[in-house]
Amino acid sequence: MTRNKKLGVGALAAAALAGAIYFAVRANPELEVERRGGTLRAILRDEPTGFNRYLGPADNSKELLAQVLHDRLVRVNRATDALEPRLAERWTAEPDGVTHTISLRPGVTFSDGAPFTSADVLFAFEAVYSKAANSAIGTSLTIGGKPLEVTAPDAATVRIRFPSPFGPGVRVLDNLPILPRHKLEPALRNGTFKEAWGLTTPAAEMPGLGPFVIESYLPGRTLTLARNPRYWKKDDRGRQLPYLDRLEFQIVADMNVEILQLESGAVDLMFSDLRPEDYASLRRLEGQGRVRLVDAGISLDPPMFWFNLDPAAKASDPRRGWLQATDFRRALSHAIDREAIVKTLYLGAAVPAFGPVTPANQTWYVSDLPRYGYDPAAARARLFDLGLTDSNGDDLLEDKAGQPVRFSIVTNRGNTIRERTVAVMQEQFRKIGVTMDVVMLERGALIQRIISKDYDTVYFGTESTSRDPSSNLDFWTSSGGFHVWNMGQAKPATDWERRIDELMVQQVAASDLAERQRLFAEVQRIFAENIPVIYVTAPRVTVALGPRVLNATPAPIRPTVLWNSESLAVRPEGS
Amino acid sequence: MTRVGQALVVLWIAAGAFAPVLAPNPPAAQFEFPYAPPMRPRIIDADGHWRAPFVYGIRVRSLIERTYEIDTTRPVPLVWFSNGRFVSTADPSTPLLLLGSDAINRDVFARLLYGARASLGVAIVAGVCALLIGAIAGAAAGYAGGWIDDVVMRAADLLILLPAIYIVLALRAVMPLTLEFHQVFWLMAVILGLVGWPHVARPVRAIVASESRREYVEAARAVGAGPGRIVLRHLVPAAGHALITQATLLLPAFVLAEATLSFVGLGFPDPAASWGTMLLEAGRNVRAVSEYPWMLAPAVAIILFVLGLHLSAGDGRRGEPLTDTSLGAK
Amino acid sequence: MRSSLVRRIIRRLFFAVLLVLFVSSIAVVLARLAPGGIGEDLLTPPEVRARIRAEFELDRPLPVFYLHWLGRLVRFDLGTSFVYGRPVGELVRDRAANTALLASTALAIATLIGIPLGVLTASHRRGILPAVVRGASVVALSTPPILTALVMVLIASRTGWLPVGGMGTVWHLVIPALALAFPVGATLERLQAGATTETLRQPFMLAALARGVPRSLLVWRHSFRASLVPVLGIYGVIVGTIFSGSFAVEIVTNWPGLGRLMLDALFARDVHLVAGCAVAGSFFLAVGTLAADVALSLVDPRLGEST
Repeated sequence: MTRNKKLGVGALAAAALAGAIYFAVRANPELEVERRGGTLRAILRDEPTGFNRYLGPADNSKELLAQVLHDRLVRVNRATDALEPRLAERWTAEPDGVTHTISLRPGVTFSDGAPFTSADVLFAFEAVYSKAANSAIGTSLTIGGKPLEVTAPDAATVRIRFPSPFGPGVRVLDNLPILPRHKLEPALRNGTFKEAWGLTTPAAEMPGLGPFVIESYLPGRTLTLARNPRYWKKDDRGRQLPYLDRLEFQIVADMNVEILQLESGAVDLMFSDLRPEDYASLRRLEGQGRVRLVDAGISLDPPMFWFNLDPAAKASDPRRGWLQATDFRRALSHAIDREAIVKTLYLGAAVPAFGPVTPANQTWYVSDLPRYGYDPAAARARLFDLGLTDSNGDDLLEDKAGQPVRFSIVTNRGNTIRERTVAVMQEQFRKIGVTMDVVMLERGALIQRIISKDYDTVYFGTESTSRDPSSNLDFWTSSGGFHVWNMGQAKPATDWERRIDELMVQQVAASDLAERQRLFAEVQRIFAENIPVIYVTAPRVTVALGPRVLNATPAPIRPTVLWNSESLAVRPEGS
Repeated sequence: MTRVGQALVVLWIAAGAFAPVLAPNPPAAQFEFPYAPPMRPRIIDADGHWRAPFVYGIRVRSLIERTYEIDTTRPVPLVWFSNGRFVSTADPSTPLLLLGSDAINRDVFARLLYGARASLGVAIVAGVCALLIGAIAGAAAGYAGGWIDDVVMRAADLLILLPAIYIVLALRAVMPLTLEFHQVFWLMAVILGLVGWPHVARPVRAIVASESRREYVEAARAVGAGPGRIVLRHLVPAAGHALITQATLLLPAFVLAEATLSFVGLGFPDPAASWGTMLLEAGRNVRAVSEYPWMLAPAVAIILFVLGLHLSAGDGRRGEPLTDTSLGAK
Repeated sequence: MRSSLVRRIIRRLFFAVLLVLFVSSIAVVLARLAPGGIGEDLLTPPEVRARIRAEFELDRPLPVFYLHWLGRLVRFDLGTSFVYGRPVGELVRDRAANTALLASTALAIATLIGIPLGVLTASHRRGILPAVVRGASVVALSTPPILTALVMVLIASRTGWLPVGGMGTVWHLVIPALALAFPVGATLERLQAGATTETLRQPFMLAALARGVPRSLLVWRHSFRASLVPVLGIYGVIVGTIFSGSFAVEIVTNWPGLGRLMLDALFARDVHLVAGCAVAGSFFLAVGTLAADVALSLVDPRLGEST
C-alpha cells in the first residue's frame, strides 16, 4: 500500500517533470531555434534581372536578394518598426539638426575578406546618385530634390549632412545597401556600370556584407546562396550567424505551383503572403500539420479606389459636376458594405479601411478621423443633394440633364481579390442607383491610363516599404508622382491639397516625434474629409511556412520572412 | 452515337438560348454564401416522408474554412414557372443553387447557362469564320500551288507566330474604355477567326495538294470540270476529316482564348458570365478547385459540347465518327 | 526529282528567312504601339522613368527605333533585353533549348501513342478497348492542355508521385510533356483511324484478304502509307501549336521555356526580347514545316511536281 503510494507519487512526480520539461521545451523555442546548418528552400517570383542593386528601379527579386546578400548602415526592424544599428555601430546628431556623425562597426569584412570602411559608404552614395545607375534608391535619398552630402573624416567614421532639416534622420539609410567598392568602382569609372554584376558574373566577383553569398545560379531554375563565413553578426550567445548553411531559391512564376510545392514539402517558404482566396484551403492543410500559418498583422498598404480629380482631364465631360464632387465620393463610401466584403471575400482576414494609414502603423495611425461608413440612407441623401435623382423610374439615378449616373472603374486582371471587390462594389452601388462599369485591363495598359489621366476611377494598389509618411511624399504632396488622383501638379489644384503640402513640409522638417505625429494627424484629417481616395479593406497579412522553418518573425512588409534571414533556422530533414 | 452527339449540341445551344428562363437566379445576383456546395432537389425528406420537390437550405458551419451543412429543419419547396423562370425556390433567401456558388456568391449554374451564350456564341462564330477562310485558303493553296501556295501559306505561318496579344493591346488602347457586350462579342469573334484559320488551312492544303494529283481528279479535269467545281466537289470534301478534327481543337481553344483576351483587357464586361473567365478564375487557384470541384463546371461543359460536336459529325451507320468524309472520297 | 527537292528546300529556306524578318519586325512595331512601356510603374519616380525611356531609345520616333533595330538584326544582333540587361540571343538560346526538349518529347509521345491507337480503333470496330480509346481521344481533343496540366500538377502534389513544377530530372518532364501530348496524340489517333478505315475499304485490300494475307499485316502495313499524307500535313501545324500551346503549360508546370520568357517579355514590354522570342518561334515553325514538307514530298513524289 505504502509502496504503491510511493510508486504513485513517484509516477506523478515523473509525469510532472516530464510535463515541465515538455513545456519548457515548448515555451523556450530557442532550444530548437539555434540549430545551425541545413538548407532553407524559398521561392523567387521573377527571374533575377541582375545582382547590382544600385541599378535602375527596384523589382521584387532585386529587393529580396538585396536583403539577404547585403547589409546597410541601419535597419528598420520590419516587425517592430524600431531603428537598429547594423554596419553603423552608433550615430549622433549634431546640434545644427542636419548633420549626423556615424561610427562604423569595427572589424567588419566583406565575404571575400576585404575590410569594410567609410570608403565603401562614400562609394555607395556616389553610385546611387550617378546618372549611370539611374537608381530609384538615389531618388529616395534626396530631400526636396537635393542629395545628401557625405564625407568621411576617417576610415571608421562617416558624416552625413542633409540639405535641410529632416525628421526621420538616419532612418532613410535603411534604403541603401552597401556593396563592395573594390569590386564595383572600376566599372563605375570606366562606364561599364550598367553591365556590372549581371547574371553571368562569376559568384566570386560579387562578395557582400550580408548573411549569405551567391553560390550558383541556374537561369530559370534555381539560385543557391551559401552562408557568408565572414558575416559580422553574432547571436545573443555569441554564436556566429546565420544559422542556415544554405538558402536555395527556386524560380517559380506561378502562384499555384508555389502553393502546391509548399504543400508537397518541396519548399519551406512562399515568396509572397497568402492571397485571401487561398486562406481557407491552407487552414485545412495546417490542420494536417503540413504548413504553419502565421498572422503578420494588418497590411500597411490597403488597396485604393480613387477618382480622377484633375480638372483638366474632365473639363469637357458633362458629368464633371458630380463625378469630381467630394459629396459623390462620400456617398459612394457610404454605399460600400465593408463588413460584408471582409466577411465573404476575405473570410474575416481583413479589417474595414477608411484611410491610407492602417492600424498596423502604430506610430502614425489616428483612430478618430471622420469616416463615411456603411449607411445607404446617407448615401442616397448625399446623391439627392447633388441633384442626382431617379427621374424616369428605372431604379437608377439620373443627373439634372437626365443622363444616367454612370462611371467606369479600371482595375487589372489577374489580381483575384481586387476583381472580386470591384464586382461586389458594383452590385452595392447598383442598390443605390449608381451604375459602375467595370473595365479590366492588363497591368501595363492600366498604368499607362493612370499616367495619361485617361479614366474615371481606378481600383489598384501598390506596396510601399516604409511606414514613415516623410518617405511617402510622392503620395501626399500635390507635385508628387504617386499623388494618384491628380499627379504631378504644378501648383495645388485645391485649397485642402495646398494645406496638406504645407503641413507635410513642416512634418518632414520637424525633429520632435510628437510634433511630427500631430502634424501628420492633421494631414490625415484633411485627407479623410475630402476623401480623394476611398479605402475599402486592409487585409491581414498571413504567411504560410513549411513545418521545418524555425524562428520566423513575419512582418507585414515584403519580404515578409526573409528580412531577417540571418536568424532563420530549419529542423533537419525528416525530423 | 450520332444522335447522342446531336442531342448534346442542341442541348447546349438551347441552354444558352433559353438561359433567362432556365436559370433559377439572375447570373449577376450575389447571395449570402461564397463557395456554397451544389443543392440536390429532393422528394423524400429527412424523416423519410414523400413530398413535392424541395431543397434543404444550407447554413454556415465555419465561414473561415468555408464549410456548410444542410439545414434539414427547413425544407424549401420548389416553384415552377413563376417570375418567368422554369424553376426556382419559394423562399428568396434560400436560392436554388444547382451547381453551388462561386467566390462572390453567384449561382454557378445560372452563370454556366448565360456563359454558354457568350462563349459558345463567340467560339462558334469564330470557328465558322476560321473553317471557311481556312478551307478556302488551304484548298486554293493546295490546288493552285506555285506562288499562290507560297503567299497563302506564308501568311498563315505569319499569323500563327504573331504576338497577337500586342495587336489586342494596341487595339484596346484606341478603343473606348467601356465596351458593350455586343461590341466585345463581335470583336472577339473576328479576332479569333483571323487567328484561327491558319490552323485549318495547313492540313487542308496538304490533303488537297495530294488529292489533286489523284486519278479521279485527273479524270474530272479530263471531262472538263472547272477548277472551282473540282475543288468544291472533290477536294474540300476530301479534307472533311481534317476539318472536323481541327474544329474540335479550335473550339475549346477559342473558349480559352476568350479568357486570355479578357486578360489583356478585351473581355466581356462584368458581371456578364463566360466560360473562359469562369475557367480562368478556377485555374488561378488550383487548390480551391480541388475543394470546390463545381468550379470546374465550365470545363465539363466545354468537353461535353465538343464531344457532342465530334459525335454528331460522325457516321452513325458504321459507328465510326468522321470516316465518311476521309481521304479517298469518291 | 532530286533537284526539284533541293530547289524546293532552298525556296523554303528563303521564305523562312523572310518570315523571321516579318514576324520580328511586326513584333517590334506592335510592342511599341501597345500601351505601357518598360519601367512604367507608379512608384518609379518620373525622372527615373524618363531616363529609362531615353536609355532604351523609347523616346525616339517609331521609324527611327525600328531602323536601328533592323540595322542590328542584319548583323545578327538581336539587341539587349531591357529587363535582364543581357543579350537577347543568349537568353533565347537557353530557353529555346528547354522548349525544344519539351516539345520534341511531347511530339514523340503523341506519335507513339496516337498512331498505333488510331490503327487499333479503326481495324477493330467492336470491343471495349477501341471504344474506350475513341472516347478518350475525343475527350483529350476537347480538353485544353492547360487544364490537363493543372489537374496533373494537383494530383502530383497530393500524391508526391512526381515533382511539382520546375526542371531538373527526367521526372520533371513528365507532366508538361504529357499535357502537351494528349491533344496532339488524339489528333493523330483520329487522323490515323480515318486513314486506316479508308484503306480497309480499298478493293486491293479486299482482294488481298481474299488471297489469305493475314488481316493484321495488311492493316498495319498499308494504313501507315495511307495516313502519311494527312499526318505529315498536320505535323507542320502541330509544331506551331505545340510552340504556342506550350506557354500555358510552361507556366502551370514552371518549365523554364521560351513560352514563359515570351509572356514575361510581353507584359514587361521588353521589345527586343519579344522580337527575339518571335525569331526563335518562327525558326521552330520553319524547321517543322520544312521537315514535314520534305518528308511529304519523299513519300508522295507527285507533290514535288507542283513547285
